[in-house]
Amino acid sequence: MIRNAARLFVKDLRLLVRGRALLALLVGYPLLVAVLVAVALQSGEKRPSVAFVNLDTSGRTVQVGSRRLGVEDYARRLDEEVHLERLTPDEASRALDQGRVSAVLTIPAGFISDLQAGVKPPVITVQTSRRSPIQADAISRRLESAIFRVNQSLARTYVDQTLQLVQVLVDGGDITAFTRSGHVLGLTESKRLVRELQTSLRRSGRRDLAARLDPLLNFITQAGVNLDLANAAAQSLTNPIRLRIPPAPKGREPLTGFGFAGALLVSLGLIGTLLGASALSSEREDGTLTRLRRGLIRTEGLVGEKVGFAALVALVVGLLLLAAVAIFTALTVDRWGLWIAALLAAGLAFGAFGVLIGALARETRTALLATIMLALPLIFLGLFTDSPVASGVSQVFPFGPAFRSFQTLLVEPSVPARLGLKIGQLLLLGLAFGGVAAVALRRRADA
Amino acid sequence: MSTTTAGGPLLRGAGLAKRYRGVAALDGVDVDLEPGESLALLGPNGAGKTTLLRILAGVTSPTAGILEGAGTGRGVGWVPQRPAVYHRLTARENLRLFAALEGAGDPDAVADRLLERADLLEFAGRPASELSTGTLQRLNLSVALAGAPVLLLLDEPTATLSPDQRQRLWAWLEDLRRQERMALLFSTQSVDEAAERGDRMLVLVRGRVAFAGTADELSATYGADDPEAAFLALLEAVA
Repeated sequence: MIRNAARLFVKDLRLLVRGRALLALLVGYPLLVAVLVAVALQSGEKRPSVAFVNLDTSGRTVQVGSRRLGVEDYARRLDEEVHLERLTPDEASRALDQGRVSAVLTIPAGFISDLQAGVKPPVITVQTSRRSPIQADAISRRLESAIFRVNQSLARTYVDQTLQLVQVLVDGGDITAFTRSGHVLGLTESKRLVRELQTSLRRSGRRDLAARLDPLLNFITQAGVNLDLANAAAQSLTNPIRLRIPPAPKGREPLTGFGFAGALLVSLGLIGTLLGASALSSEREDGTLTRLRRGLIRTEGLVGEKVGFAALVALVVGLLLLAAVAIFTALTVDRWGLWIAALLAAGLAFGAFGVLIGALARETRTALLATIMLALPLIFLGLFTDSPVASGVSQVFPFGPAFRSFQTLLVEPSVPARLGLKIGQLLLLGLAFGGVAAVALRRRADA
Repeated sequence: MSTTTAGGPLLRGAGLAKRYRGVAALDGVDVDLEPGESLALLGPNGAGKTTLLRILAGVTSPTAGILEGAGTGRGVGWVPQRPAVYHRLTARENLRLFAALEGAGDPDAVADRLLERADLLEFAGRPASELSTGTLQRLNLSVALAGAPVLLLLDEPTATLSPDQRQRLWAWLEDLRRQERMALLFSTQSVDEAAERGDRMLVLVRGRVAFAGTADELSATYGADDPEAAFLALLEAVA
């Protein structure tokens, strides 16, 4: 029986290699989709285009510390986060409607004067595209973050200036801050003058008057001591919580890893399921299923052979893709033994899922169409398992566990125990789908 | 249902029945066959001919009944109405593969012998999908012979063939009977073909045996001049 399964395996390989159009379709199409998915996911790293409309034509600047800042300084800082296109309001509106920009950022008239007066904070308006709510949400967050960073940078300058003022209050000197200027005596000099006055009064026998200056001297001393704390207090006010994001290890960047794991999932998911479905359904279409089931091979053996065939092709394609990534990209691909285990387990599960569809469908075309229609949404559920429902559904199909395995091997520097669980889950799913496929095949043949 | 290969006739089926979702496609059919004998299975569309052949071939399990004799299981060569071959494999590859699957010691030799016997040598390297209807049917029959069966089950083997192709196929089948004492059980909708090519005939109507015997006995039973008129009288009688 195993020999006959091996003979059919060789036959399937021969037919796959011989049917160049089918080979191109079955292998080329998923690879093309994989490349497109990888490109689409990688493009998330690009800076989005944002229209910049400046209605403050005053050309005024505001003095912050030793620098003068204008609208263009704001724009330059925002340009580090997003790609700004300077447009008029009408041009910006058209660009947003046509999808050339993701959002329109408007600087209101009187922006600098409002900032300078400090009576009310100036308001920057962001209009996002209605056509892509996901992108609109992302761009809103990005601009929010950018404005926060600009604000934080300005706040730090203001705090520095305030601290300089405090220092002048202690040490004395010239004030040039917040549009005001002048000379301040300072606490240190005030203390010295009061002490001199006390000494002079005591010498002249007016000790009672000298004693009445003690509370003033005490106040000056306390004020000096407490103003020394202003520096630390102001620093903690500008940065109450600090955020530290350690960079990902080189070659294991999460977004790149996510992109390639997604591409691998799309590619192998489609190859495995399509080959499994077509290999079995073509036996029915050729009419050879009836011959084989007359004692030449057991139903379980036939299902196993088709699943194994799909898994082997998926493994080979997966290894080729990984080799290409290792050679042509900066992504680290290592632990080849684990990769083979993960690819094989995923291929077996994908193949079994495809074979089940092939067992249920009456003809090859129906099987292929049904496979694509079922596999594509399930693949995307496997990729994006944010909701509990999506997460639950993805657990009972091989796409989610396969994606997690690929992602783990690409981005995790060490191998966590859950990788073994995911590979085990894939093998179990393969067994389950293969078992159901054998039952379906037996029932169909008997009908 | 039980299936055995004990001694006795080449094939004996008793009380064979098959129900599909509660509907009887075959209802208590008895059938037997001796080595070298040719039995024609006759009946209108939906009579249960293909279902009976599929049960005898081991493709479908009967709901009830007994099946025994050497002409069961792997001793049977199955020739379905629609050629059951790998259409993208060549004629030689098909024969070689099925000979290997049947456990032949030298699949290449078996393939060569069958190609020669079926006069398929000139088409040996062509994919089955490129063969004409008659040639494809010869390949279909040759594949059934790859396991050296003692009984050939043929489901309307000449239904899609032209008269000359039909003649050629029957000449070959008659050779097999003579030279190897191979038994034939074939279904047909042609009374003439059943009378001419079958030693006996089994007429099925609505899943039951309406007549079992020779063509002459059929004519005599219904007082007709020829088997076709007798067959029509039989259908009227059971209607």
